[in-house]
Amino acid sequence: MKKILEIALGIVTSVGGFLEIGSITTAAQAGADFSFQLIWAIVLGGLCIIFLVEQAGRFSAVSGRTIPDAIRERFGFNYFAFLYLVLALVTLLVLAAEIGGVCITLELATGIHFQWWTVPAALLIWLVMWKGTFGVIEKGVSLLGLVTLSFVVGAYVIHPPEAQVLRGALPSLPQHDSAHYWFVAVSILGASISPYLFFFYSSGAIEDEWNEGYVGVNRIIATGGMTFGSVISIAVLVLAAMIFAPQGVKFEHYTQLPQLLVPVFGYWGYWLLVASVGISCLGAALEITLEIAYFTAQGFGWNWSENQRPRDEARFAAAYTLTIILAALITITGIDPLKITIFSMALTAATLPVSIVPFLFLMNDYSYVRVYRNGWFSNAVVIVIISIAFVLAVVSIPLQIFGGS
Amino acid sequence: MDLVRDCLDKQIDDRFKRRMGRVDGIVLEVEPGRPPRVAYVELGVKTLMNRLSRRLGNAITHEPYRIPWGKIKVGLNAVRADVEAEKTPALEWELWLRKKVIGRIPGA
Repeated sequence: MKKILEIALGIVTSVGGFLEIGSITTAAQAGADFSFQLIWAIVLGGLCIIFLVEQAGRFSAVSGRTIPDAIRERFGFNYFAFLYLVLALVTLLVLAAEIGGVCITLELATGIHFQWWTVPAALLIWLVMWKGTFGVIEKGVSLLGLVTLSFVVGAYVIHPPEAQVLRGALPSLPQHDSAHYWFVAVSILGASISPYLFFFYSSGAIEDEWNEGYVGVNRIIATGGMTFGSVISIAVLVLAAMIFAPQGVKFEHYTQLPQLLVPVFGYWGYWLLVASVGISCLGAALEITLEIAYFTAQGFGWNWSENQRPRDEARFAAAYTLTIILAALITITGIDPLKITIFSMALTAATLPVSIVPFLFLMNDYSYVRVYRNGWFSNAVVIVIISIAFVLAVVSIPLQIFGGS
Repeated sequence: MDLVRDCLDKQIDDRFKRRMGRVDGIVLEVEPGRPPRVAYVELGVKTLMNRLSRRLGNAITHEPYRIPWGKIKVGLNAVRADVEAEKTPALEWELWLRKKVIGRIPGA
């Protein structure tokens, strides 16, 4: 019974990490511009992240180590420093986008311009980090995130044409705006295959004291959680395809977001949307902040755990405090959060290979994962994901230039 | 033992299992007519920067902290140093931050 509860909670918390401003925005943009045609990108991204998250969890449960810890150890400081710099820059941008998402929902709720909410939102994130434990962040915020199921209910109630939805799950070539089509596809993949997600998951396994006995639980949680998250993203795409696309409306500003749920739920749709986006952005912001602090502390061998008092791990506390300040400084400049989001998703895609290549080596290293090493199938999947990551890395920036607007 | 594979970049804990950093560098002593001898492990930004580039390393004036090899035990998951971390320069920053910044914020 305890294990079943743990699995259920694990799945819900994994969704908390998956669904964030990037996945909501890119799905809404895809639905508005290309109707159901880009569902395949969410499915592909979901499949990739299922495998990576499962492997990250298995690695930590068996070896008692996190992925960043092992990267520093196996690949040396120079590779670690390169990965750290790339990841920190990209993740800071993603965090700025998430803080922007929280602020936008506060603007939608109060009418006060989002910039004014940057400091209160950053303070709220910092306060939860400062006072909260890993359990509070992981389970509390994620349970609140169940409100995002309203997207799924909405997509069901609006009765999309099933045949078209199913057809969208298979890759197809664009009929118009090719560069923009591929740019949105790449952004969706960047939003789905977020390195912070599997690095965070790996640290979470250590925080939750997983061991070899959790290998099976991990598999169910990773598969269930990421599938669940992908379904919610698909629901957002379906809503945008049903509401925006027929009217030829482009998704160009966050203030358009409530239109996704208002036609389905009326007045309450507005507030459901505000709560869904606000809570998922807050949850993602907390996880991303924690992840940057984890990555820093693990790479340099500092004391780290969200369950300890800040004074007992001053450098770790300083790392997340500084992270929040830097990201908030980007948000407070007033750059359109939608632009930051889209740009950071494409940039995430561009930097994927450096984060994913180590998996292939670590998951086959007997000294870490012993008999739980990858089989031929898992290795083949990782090689396919790495190939996709390399393609994304090459095409994302040119597509940003030619298809980004 | 393969020094690079089994020791370099590993987590280093003190005698009370407190995390004190990573093995950022290994110092060998070479004397004429004798085989090289492992003398110290080093922890510090200067050592790390030296690994990236000599120029970066020279820009850092703060000398790394050295632990004599005799006080080091290389384990499977971590390296254990027979020292008390809080009394070494390895936790200098940690203690400074605790005393001057983090510790002063309510709720720390």
